[in-house]
Amino acid sequence: MDNEIIKTVDEIIAEYGSANDAAIPILQAIQGKFNYLPEVALKHLAETTGISPAAIYGISTFYSQFRHQPIGKHLIKVCVGTACHVKGAVQVYDAFKRELKIGESEDTDTDRLFTIEKVACLGCCTIAPVVQIDGVTYGHLTTDKAGETIRDFLLNQDSVPSVNNEFILSDSASQGEIRLGLGSCCVASGSAEVKLALEKSIKKSKINVSVKHVGCVGICNQVPMLEVHKPGESPSFYTKIKAEEVGEVIRKHFQPSNPVYRFRNNLYNFLENYVIDGIPKSLRRYSSEKRDTPVSEFLDGQLNIATEYRGFLKPTDLAEYKNYGGFSALQQCLSGKSQQEIIGQVIQSGLRGRGGAGFPTGIKWQRVKDSVSDEKFVICNGDEGDPGAFMDRMLLESYPFRVIEGLIIAAFAVGATKGIFYIRAEYPLAVKRIREAIKICEDASLLGENILGSDFSFNVRLFEGAGAFVCGEETALIASVEGKRGLPQLRPPYPSEKGLWDKPTLINNTETLATIPWIIRKGGEAFGKIGTDNSKGTKVFALAGKINRGGLIEVPMGITIRKIIEDIGGGIPDGKKFKAVQIGGPSGGCIPALMADTPIDFGSLAEVGAMMGSGGLIVLDETDCMVDIARYFLSFTQDQSCGRCTFCRIGTRRMLDILNKICSGKGKIEDLESLEKLAISVNKGSMCGLGKTAPNPVLSTLKYFRHEYEAHINGHCPTGKCKDLVSYEITNDCIGCTKCAQRCPSGAIALNPYELHVVEMDKCIKCDICRQICPVDAVILGQAKC
Amino acid sequence: MVEIKIDGITLKVPHETTVMQAARSAGFEIPSMCYKNGHQNHPSCMICLVKDLKSGNLFPSCAMRVSGNMEISTVDEDVINSRKDALELLMSDHVGDCEAPCRMACPAFMDIPLMNRLIAGGDFAKALEIVKQEIALPFILGYICPAPCEKVCRRTQVDEAVSICQLKKFTAAKDAGNETSFFPTKNKKTGKRVAIIGTGPAGLSCAFYLLRQGHECVLFDKNEKAGGTLRYSALDKELPESVLDHEIGLIQNYGAEFRLKYPITKEFFEQEIIPKFDAVVLATGLVNPEQADIFGIRLSKSGIEVKPGTFETSRKGVFSCGSSVKSLKMAVTSVAQGKATALSVDGFLKGTISKPEPFFNSKFGKLQPTEVSEYLKESSAGIRIFPFAGESKGFSSEEAISEAKRCLHCDCRKPASCKLRQYSAEYEIDRRKYSSGERKLLEKHFQHETVVYEPEKCIKCGLCVDITTGKKELTGLTFIGRGFNLKIDIPFNQTLNEALTKTAAECVDACPTGALSFKIGEEKG
Repeated sequence: MDNEIIKTVDEIIAEYGSANDAAIPILQAIQGKFNYLPEVALKHLAETTGISPAAIYGISTFYSQFRHQPIGKHLIKVCVGTACHVKGAVQVYDAFKRELKIGESEDTDTDRLFTIEKVACLGCCTIAPVVQIDGVTYGHLTTDKAGETIRDFLLNQDSVPSVNNEFILSDSASQGEIRLGLGSCCVASGSAEVKLALEKSIKKSKINVSVKHVGCVGICNQVPMLEVHKPGESPSFYTKIKAEEVGEVIRKHFQPSNPVYRFRNNLYNFLENYVIDGIPKSLRRYSSEKRDTPVSEFLDGQLNIATEYRGFLKPTDLAEYKNYGGFSALQQCLSGKSQQEIIGQVIQSGLRGRGGAGFPTGIKWQRVKDSVSDEKFVICNGDEGDPGAFMDRMLLESYPFRVIEGLIIAAFAVGATKGIFYIRAEYPLAVKRIREAIKICEDASLLGENILGSDFSFNVRLFEGAGAFVCGEETALIASVEGKRGLPQLRPPYPSEKGLWDKPTLINNTETLATIPWIIRKGGEAFGKIGTDNSKGTKVFALAGKINRGGLIEVPMGITIRKIIEDIGGGIPDGKKFKAVQIGGPSGGCIPALMADTPIDFGSLAEVGAMMGSGGLIVLDETDCMVDIARYFLSFTQDQSCGRCTFCRIGTRRMLDILNKICSGKGKIEDLESLEKLAISVNKGSMCGLGKTAPNPVLSTLKYFRHEYEAHINGHCPTGKCKDLVSYEITNDCIGCTKCAQRCPSGAIALNPYELHVVEMDKCIKCDICRQICPVDAVILGQAKC
Repeated sequence: MVEIKIDGITLKVPHETTVMQAARSAGFEIPSMCYKNGHQNHPSCMICLVKDLKSGNLFPSCAMRVSGNMEISTVDEDVINSRKDALELLMSDHVGDCEAPCRMACPAFMDIPLMNRLIAGGDFAKALEIVKQEIALPFILGYICPAPCEKVCRRTQVDEAVSICQLKKFTAAKDAGNETSFFPTKNKKTGKRVAIIGTGPAGLSCAFYLLRQGHECVLFDKNEKAGGTLRYSALDKELPESVLDHEIGLIQNYGAEFRLKYPITKEFFEQEIIPKFDAVVLATGLVNPEQADIFGIRLSKSGIEVKPGTFETSRKGVFSCGSSVKSLKMAVTSVAQGKATALSVDGFLKGTISKPEPFFNSKFGKLQPTEVSEYLKESSAGIRIFPFAGESKGFSSEEAISEAKRCLHCDCRKPASCKLRQYSAEYEIDRRKYSSGERKLLEKHFQHETVVYEPEKCIKCGLCVDITTGKKELTGLTFIGRGFNLKIDIPFNQTLNEALTKTAAECVDACPTGALSFKIGEEKG
């Protein structure tokens, strides 16, 4: 075994080289082979390369992607991102552990079949809570579905449809086009199955219709979504379509060109209609012409710049991208525009960085251009680590060429010859698409030597992040590319002066780069006309949480929170009351419903104690506990802190300690003051942005929801989210159906048919299954007796 | 050159200078722990924070380069509070005692663990020296002290406390058995004379330390023999008269003059004592209003009114300690006060009664089971030893050595050079301010021949990592993990011996806390 490992490691080293900056890709490759990092492999790596044991160990323990212990046959990743958290991810995690009988301090079952782990965010926020077992994603989970999910996985593990072998059925005499989104959310919601069904159905019915796989359609909560486009007809959208419903849709819209088939199909139609009566009820079909449909409302009010041509661009079809004006901006730049002209346009556009802090992009470009050096770099920051944000993932998956075009223009403008795509490894589809797109661009002379016949040469490579939120910070990202632990550096010097390998380096967020081609094509002035005084253009948001129509939206800056939630998002589901919106993830804050008319721009968000952040927008309703939300973010940041400076390493942890104390009912009123003071200290004293902004979720909830903190201190969690403060009670509405008793995993409810059920609190583990399963809502939350 | 302002003073410094270098070059004090000249300075401790008054931002001065128009404050309230906070946060994650619990419990602050280690090593004379640095009457106290130190001894969590009191008595008994007794070297004669009224434990102790400081001492007592309560009151434990006589004899031999059968009257006090002595110490034991009138001083509810810490009475040049200030149950407390008063008088005679140096002590709660085994790594197993010859006779040398080896070495090995302790004292931090969380479990790594590593004392400055990397240690040290669980450790679970083959001394020296220290510990200041 050891020899085999050593041989594999040698092969990997041969492929990646033995320089220090190869360390992360090498470790990723080793883990790719063995599912973990065997110690012999690491030792051998140290012996045969110049990479020291200290460096290897330092890196492999810094990035959460790496494991030092072998895992079970299958890996269950329970997403604990923000959207999943507010929808009960922790209880789902507990339920899976219970189901697999995995002990408290363990992560693998006794048969070593499953290993379970929590992951920061899978970026499938609209179908939360989400669990990924190997390649299969399950959405909308509840605690009582753990067993069912595992059984389903084991049953179907060999027949998992793949999205990799994309198929296109096109014909010169096409009768129309069917579009199917294949973004990560879509796939997680069953797009791949729909794709298979579509394939079969079209084959069977012998119709001539082209099927097109488009990127993320944005309406993530309505996916899988089929769009039917037929000449002379307004497009139809079928939302939340199931595989078994596909045939029906095809037959409704298309007739085979051959009369015999048509007849057969009509017969089928007749027979099936006879049984089913029209379109099956579960299908939601909306015409694009009809107003007031969820789809049109969702799309209204949006303005697509970064997501231009959303829903009809095939991600890796270069010809199509070009047909829609793709790479014309680059062409313009290379044939006659000076570097300064380009930068001038960007400055004029007023574009500010979309990664969070909002630094003016044009000025950043200018600084890199003005730095004198024999070599410069540009980096696309796609290390989107905010739980609850998936804008970059979607842009990279759906518009790889646009981002590449933006990056090439940036490189040209600042005089860089090398570029890097830094994409987090948790986004396999984004990585795959960008890799493909880079290859295609290289073949088309859009990358490489003498691009499009010009003097300009530019090469780009892809670097997969290894799981560290802090690497979204530009100096930490650079450290990571250099093969080090992702530690932020004190700025100045800024990367524009001293970046990757101490050379001037431009780092832009994915979304920032995605807007560049538009700005060049339409001019900075056009972009500057959109938005508000201090925030120009549009912003892409990931809308998730307690919202009817979650998804990816691109809206003009200055739009109010209310418009996003009520008009685009369609309000709060289940008639619940809108309570607050969390903007900006771990760096942002919670804005209460009362302030829903706050326009979204950099200035006004900062004013109310939130932050634009990268664009995560989690809607919270009356059942969400604000103290729990603050605690959730603090537990995230204290784990993601690089650990270097005192305020961030210990300060965030101490804040979490106090929040834990409050959530468990042991808080005292003076704790609120200490918490607030400490939060301010951490903000003032931390070295980098992560630490400086980590207190925002606490400060903003303390500001707007202090009463909830006070309630906890008085032993009461108003929403019943804090386990330690609630008890389960069964009211007289109970019909004695025993459903709860049968499903209770801890035997806390005695099985007495037709009698009023009772929860024995000393046995209860507060998994919430009884409350979810009760058909008459007789299980309610009470206040725990402390 | 760049022009910057620091605390209102304009400086011209070269480009590339850090703000810390600029400030220090102009004499401003900037605290720092993680910064060391010649090493990569990656700010981590954050106690060197200063404020740029223009932006209102705080930043670590060790890594920030100067730039034109900076207007730095090193004394702003924000700066001081943030430094304090940084220290308080670091302390909340610091598991270790600066001083051992026994020493903290000893009213005389005797360095018990060091005494134990010297006895364990057979150096009895040096052990007595250490004892006498803090306790003038170890032989006497060896018999009668109720030993508050033993009640807090961490060894009680294993079996029974170390027999500290017997060990102390052993050092004194050993000395008594020698041909020549030990006397601490006296400071140069000052020519100052101090009168001490009362020859009980407080007076005797005070005399001893005044003599050591180079002053002359005359002790007055109304009784026929010296000793006060030690001789004339009923004691809880038996004190052989020979022991009392022996130790009083030592003080006499050290230079004290005893005037016995000298009841003090108001007249005598005003004519024979006040004018003829440079200072007076009242160590008379319990006083009543008539006596107070004799000395012309004010009384408080409990006894003679004194300033806390300095033992000055309401009358200039007159000091008081022991039960005359407040009734004391333990003789050791009187002995401790006698010493403290001597130091205060010493200051008075030299012109300034200095405030006691700021003192800081880190301590943590009960040992957890795994920690007990960490502590047992450097002590011998076995239950408490009782003197075979009987409690009164005390230990034989062999017994003393065996018993002393039971000591767990709870005290820090770098109590004097630890910067975390120094700054915690200087900034008068509240070490419990952020103690809301669970504390980490203490570990001690002894695999190295000369160095001990205690990860829970580490502040993660990374200097040692930088040193082992720079000096190309084959294994070296590295950062493990991230966030709150960040730790400095050895790759591939190797030992410290493999990690520090050539850089051990340099790492110990660079380490700003007691995380990396020499096994033998450092000389205490």
